[in-house]
Amino acid sequence: MFGLEVVLEAIVEIEDVTKNYPLGKLVVQALRGVSLTINKGEFTTIAGPSGSGKTTLLNLIGCVDIPSAGAVRIAGHNTSALNDASLTNLRLRKLGFIFQSFNLIPVLDVFQNVEFPLLLQGDLTKVERAKRVEEILRRVGLTDQIHQRPNELSGGQRQRVAIARALVTKPAIVLADEPTANLDSVTGNTIIELMKELNATAETTFIFSTHDPKVMRQATRIIRLVDGKIVHDGSGTEGVIEATDPALANEEE
Amino acid sequence: MGNLLVSLRIVFLIAMRNLTSHRVKSLIVGSIMAFGTMLMVVGTSLLDSVEESMEKVVSSSLTGQLQIYSTEGRDELSLFGGLTASRPDIGEIEDFSKLKQFVEPVENVEAIVPMGVTIATGAGGNDIDSTLADLRRAVEANNSAEIKKLEGQIVQLASLLEDEYEYRAKIAADTEKIEQDLEILQRVQEASFWEDFDMYANKRLMYLDTKLAPLAADGKLFFLRLLGTDPQLFKKSFDRFEIDKGQMIPPGKRGVLLSRRAHERFLKHRVARQLDRVKREIEVEGRSLEDDELLQGRVRRLSRQYRRVLFQLDVAETEKLDKMLRDYLSEDVPEDDLAKLVEKFLLVDSNNFQERYDYFYKNIAPMIELYRVNVGETVTIQAFTRRGYLKAMNVKIWGTFQFKGIEDSDLAGVVNLTDMVTFRELYGKMTDAQQAELEELREEVGAEVVTRDEAEDALFGGDAELMEEGQPVELAEGFDEFEDVDVLERDERLARAGELTYEQEEIDSGLALNAAVILKDRERIEETRRAIEAVIAREGLKLRVVDWQEAAGIVGQLITVIRLVLYAAIFIIFLVALVIINNSMVMATMERVSEIGTMRAIGAPRAFVLVLFMLETLALGLIAGTLGGLTGALMVEAAGFYGIPAYNEIVRFIFAGPYLYPHVTWGNVLLAAVVIFVVSVIATLYPAIVATRIQPVVAMRGRE
Repeated sequence: MFGLEVVLEAIVEIEDVTKNYPLGKLVVQALRGVSLTINKGEFTTIAGPSGSGKTTLLNLIGCVDIPSAGAVRIAGHNTSALNDASLTNLRLRKLGFIFQSFNLIPVLDVFQNVEFPLLLQGDLTKVERAKRVEEILRRVGLTDQIHQRPNELSGGQRQRVAIARALVTKPAIVLADEPTANLDSVTGNTIIELMKELNATAETTFIFSTHDPKVMRQATRIIRLVDGKIVHDGSGTEGVIEATDPALANEEE
Repeated sequence: MGNLLVSLRIVFLIAMRNLTSHRVKSLIVGSIMAFGTMLMVVGTSLLDSVEESMEKVVSSSLTGQLQIYSTEGRDELSLFGGLTASRPDIGEIEDFSKLKQFVEPVENVEAIVPMGVTIATGAGGNDIDSTLADLRRAVEANNSAEIKKLEGQIVQLASLLEDEYEYRAKIAADTEKIEQDLEILQRVQEASFWEDFDMYANKRLMYLDTKLAPLAADGKLFFLRLLGTDPQLFKKSFDRFEIDKGQMIPPGKRGVLLSRRAHERFLKHRVARQLDRVKREIEVEGRSLEDDELLQGRVRRLSRQYRRVLFQLDVAETEKLDKMLRDYLSEDVPEDDLAKLVEKFLLVDSNNFQERYDYFYKNIAPMIELYRVNVGETVTIQAFTRRGYLKAMNVKIWGTFQFKGIEDSDLAGVVNLTDMVTFRELYGKMTDAQQAELEELREEVGAEVVTRDEAEDALFGGDAELMEEGQPVELAEGFDEFEDVDVLERDERLARAGELTYEQEEIDSGLALNAAVILKDRERIEETRRAIEAVIAREGLKLRVVDWQEAAGIVGQLITVIRLVLYAAIFIIFLVALVIINNSMVMATMERVSEIGTMRAIGAPRAFVLVLFMLETLALGLIAGTLGGLTGALMVEAAGFYGIPAYNEIVRFIFAGPYLYPHVTWGNVLLAAVVIFVVSVIATLYPAIVATRIQPVVAMRGRE
């Protein structure tokens, strides 16, 4: 018990989850009996072609949606059993979000955008909030842009603000949906590096989706979905499908 | 919700930033809201001020704070005139003294004033009539010099009329009647008519009365709206009342006080009245004789009224005026007669108007009868009693009165005052003394009550000899059917009636149509009204109590109508604002789906989104409302400082004077704030609810 054994704490537990969407008169099965567990501190990517169900899976983990069947437990809470207010609170307390289009609030400056979830939590004093915001902005390297508005920043800077916003509440899980899709490859790389570094230091679980094989390779675990089913789950690069494969690359677009 | 309070600052910040980033939209919506608020503050403040000033005018001139009248009448009380000119049926208060006995002790009641309106007509002012009356007096007094003078005047009158009738004969289709009239006019001008005038004075006077007098079309009736009341109590109770000319009706005496306005407007010599009117239009309404065609037309018509001056002159005066005008109009004097001179004199222009106006009053007015009825005179007035009989009586005109601050208003001039006793008589209620007099008269003339069965015998006699049919009845030479009627004695008797003094008890006891209640504390109208209603109910009187506004009639309702129009306008403006705000907020919601979804995903509760949207409109409403409200308040205060001029007489009445000095009532500002708040909330409710339904999952959806 006390030896070198590493205690693995499951933060995301997904059991035989099915998710159906109505599409006109048809029902689209986005996920078909998916089960997986993600432990605390993992740096996981969810890969797969468009329509494979990776965004649906992220939505379920992010508590912005609930499964049609099966169970999703986030930090021990079964999301199907929670009402809207409780789900909202769960997101506020346990989750951080990084979006493909950054989704910053345009009328707020960098500081205010990052402070926003802290204000919603309402736990900290003004001084504590300022300290927390400044610290995280320093870590993402935006100390000089603190009073700029999102439209005055570059794409990479915006995504850094988004990362800071996701991490400022010290969440258990950070979800990132295609965080590099709207960035050039150099900037994208830097962002992933930053995420990885924060993963290591803050012991935050990172789950992100991506198309980019280079980004995929940064992950310690790759979960690959095809047609709503997991076709690969493991470390290493077996799940990576090279962008050089023209047929698959096309599928990605 | 605790965290909600902490995040209010950020919500406010976001709301404000959203407002400033959609500048055009915010500006339009804000302008509409600001305009609506301004209109509300200005409109309601003005109306309140008008109502306040009108309350002062109306309640301190005629109505008092409350009016009591019967529930049995068909019409509603309208002291300042209703829609009809006829006498409205407002029922009766059988015994005013009884009402007084109950109402006077009610707390906060200072006085209760009996009233009753009736419409009387007066005849008078026919130039021939008054000349003939003078002639009759001269004959009675055997004053041959005076007779001679009046003879000249009548001849001159007839000659002027002859000109007119000759002109008429030229244009008329049926000339037969005109020929007869011309014969009369010529007969009167003949020397033979006057040679033996002394001998046949009565006969000749009769001829003049019956033949000549009707030819002058001037003898129009005048209408008097008479308010019967207790004059002394009226004077004490209505502090705007003041005597203009003459004197107050003395305590217990009978008589009439004419409103100055009625005296000036209906009873003044037409030429003088028209001159006054032109002067008023120039001075008050700012019109000019130089370019105002309406005014020029009025002057042209005025100049054609020269006969009205000439009719009233005797021979000496005619000569005098002729000479005066020849001197005055030194240049370019027309050759012929005085008529042309007067006509020329009256054709004023912008340069000489004021000078001629003054000249008229200084030199011509003393020669003519400036008013058909003069202060101090006794005139005969007639009224239809409630039973439909025509009641005529002589009343003394003690003076004229006006209401301070609204001297020039037609509306305030609609009533003339008389005492209760005279009113009751005109209305058809007789005093005990009159009943007794009537009995006496019946006895004197041998009148007796005849029943239907006995009528034939009584009228045609049972036993009298029958006259042979077909035999003409011959009248004795010199027969005068009026021989036995002593006209002067009748006049004296009627005049004596005016000399009688009545006790307060007699004034109070008896009929009134309505009663004004004057309050000590004039703010507590509703409360006192209820107290009086309670007393009336307790005593089982069939009476109702209305406030001054209802009692005033359409004038009082005017404010209510204007208020309704204003509210409708404000309602429409805010409805438009509501639709626009609603629309633009729905648009904003659509635009901001991703932003709201992001907030929701990050952990913002639904209430946060609701507050965010509400606050956005409320902030706009607050800013726009403050600006609009302040602008409105400033406008009202500025208007209150400089005064809003009343551009015509009705407005002057409503303003209770030549200017209205409005002031902001803070209740109205508060009301505007509440309205803005409600409009903002209602307008935003739907889009805000739509916004709260936005799912956080939308934030996850791909690229924008």
